[in-house]
Amino acid sequence: MNIEDVFSSKLRMKILKILHNVSELNVSEIARRLNVNYMSASKHMKILEDEDILQHKLFGRIRLYRFNEQSPKAKAVQNLIDVWEHQNRK
Amino acid sequence: MAQRVIITGDVGTGKTALSQRFGADITHEASTRGIKLRYTHVNCREYRGSLFLTLQHVVSVYHPNFPKRGYSPEELLRTLVQILDEENAYIILGLDEFESLVEKEGSEAVYKLTRLQEMRQNKPQRLSLICILRSLKTIEQLDASTRSTLQSNIINLQKYSKQQLVDILNDRVSLAFKPLAIPEGTVGLIADVAFSENGNARFGIELLWRAGKYANAENLNIATPECVRKAVSSIVPAIRKSDLATLGLHEKLFLLAISRLFKQNQKANISLTEAEQAYAVVCEEFDTSPNSHTQLWKYLKDFSSIGIVEAEVNGTGSRGRSTAISLPRIPAQELEKELRVLLDEESKKS
Repeated sequence: MNIEDVFSSKLRMKILKILHNVSELNVSEIARRLNVNYMSASKHMKILEDEDILQHKLFGRIRLYRFNEQSPKAKAVQNLIDVWEHQNRK
Repeated sequence: MAQRVIITGDVGTGKTALSQRFGADITHEASTRGIKLRYTHVNCREYRGSLFLTLQHVVSVYHPNFPKRGYSPEELLRTLVQILDEENAYIILGLDEFESLVEKEGSEAVYKLTRLQEMRQNKPQRLSLICILRSLKTIEQLDASTRSTLQSNIINLQKYSKQQLVDILNDRVSLAFKPLAIPEGTVGLIADVAFSENGNARFGIELLWRAGKYANAENLNIATPECVRKAVSSIVPAIRKSDLATLGLHEKLFLLAISRLFKQNQKANISLTEAEQAYAVVCEEFDTSPNSHTQLWKYLKDFSSIGIVEAEVNGTGSRGRSTAISLPRIPAQELEKELRVLLDEESKKS
C-alpha cells in the first residue's frame, strides 16, 4: 500500500494515536473509543497490521493490538506522533 | 515447583504482613538468580469474592488494558498461564481474605486454581498460592478433593503476646515519631489495650497513630496515656476502617441508613423493611436511585459476614419471613460518623 493510502484515513490515524498513548488495546475497546462499529475498527487495524505497523497477540478469544516493535515503520510512526503531539502542546 | 500455603490467624496477627514480607523477600532473591518471579497480593473481599475479578486484577498487572468483560474465569486463567509461559515468568498469588472467595464461589473456583498445575504435568509450574484466612473452618466447607489440594502447608499465627506488641509498637514509634515523643508508659498502655483486643497489632498501631494525632491537636510534646484513652474512646475497634472503606457507594449508603435508624429509635432490632425505607431516604439525600430489595439483602449478608451487623431471619410461617437486623458491637453514632467521613471523601473525589 502507498503511504498516502495508509495515512489518508482519519480513523487509522486515530487508532495509531490511541495505541501510541495506551500501548495495547483490544478491537472492541478501540471501536468504543472511536465510536465506530467493531467491523470498521477491525478492518482498519488489519490494514495497519498488513503494513507491519501494528501486531496482535491472541489470548483465547481476546485479540490485543499494539505497535510492532520490530518494525521500522512502526517506530517512524511513533516518532511522528511524538513530535507532532509535543509541538502541539507547546 | 508450585506450592500452596495457607496462613491462618486472628485479626491483626500479621498474616498479611507475613505474606507480603515473604513475597518481597522471595522476589528479591529470585531476581538475584535471574528468575522472573512476581508476588501479587489480592484482597479477595475487595473483588467481592469473585474469582473472575481477582484473576482480572492479576492479568492487569501484565496487561493493564486487558478487556474487562467478554470471557469466562477459565479463559482468564488460561490467559494468565499463557502470559506467564510467554514471559517465562512465575507468580505467587497472595489471596487475602480467602474466605470471601470460598463463600462466593465455593469449591469450584478453588479447585480450578489449585488443580491448574496438574493439567500441565510436564510444563513449568508457574502459579503458587498463599491463601490467607482467619480460620480453617472456611476450608472445611470445600469438598474433599479441593481440600486435599490445599491443606499441605499450614501456618497458624498465634495472637501476639504483650511483649511482642510492645516490640512492634516501639518499632513503629522509632519510624514515625521524634525521639522521646512517646513515653514508655504510653506504649505499654497501648500494648495492654491491643492485647485485650485479641492481641490485634493493627488495632494497636492505629491507636498509636491516633494518640499521636491527639497530642498534635493539643500541642503536646509527648503523647500521654490520656491521649491513648481519648484514642480508645474515639476508635471503632470491632470494625476496621479499611473494611468500611472497601464497601461500595450503595453499601455505605445502606449502612448509613441502618446506623441512623439505630441512632434515632434506641431499639435493639430493626426490620429489613424499615432499613430499606431509611435507605430510600438516604439515597434521595445523596441524589441517587436506590438499589433493589434483593441487592440490599445481599449487602446485609456481606455486612453480617464482616461482623458489622447481625441479621437473623424470623418466622417460617406461610406469611413469609422477616429479617431482624441488630448492631451489637458498634455505637450507631460512631458508625454514622465514620461513614459520613468516607462518603464526604468520596463525593470530593468525584
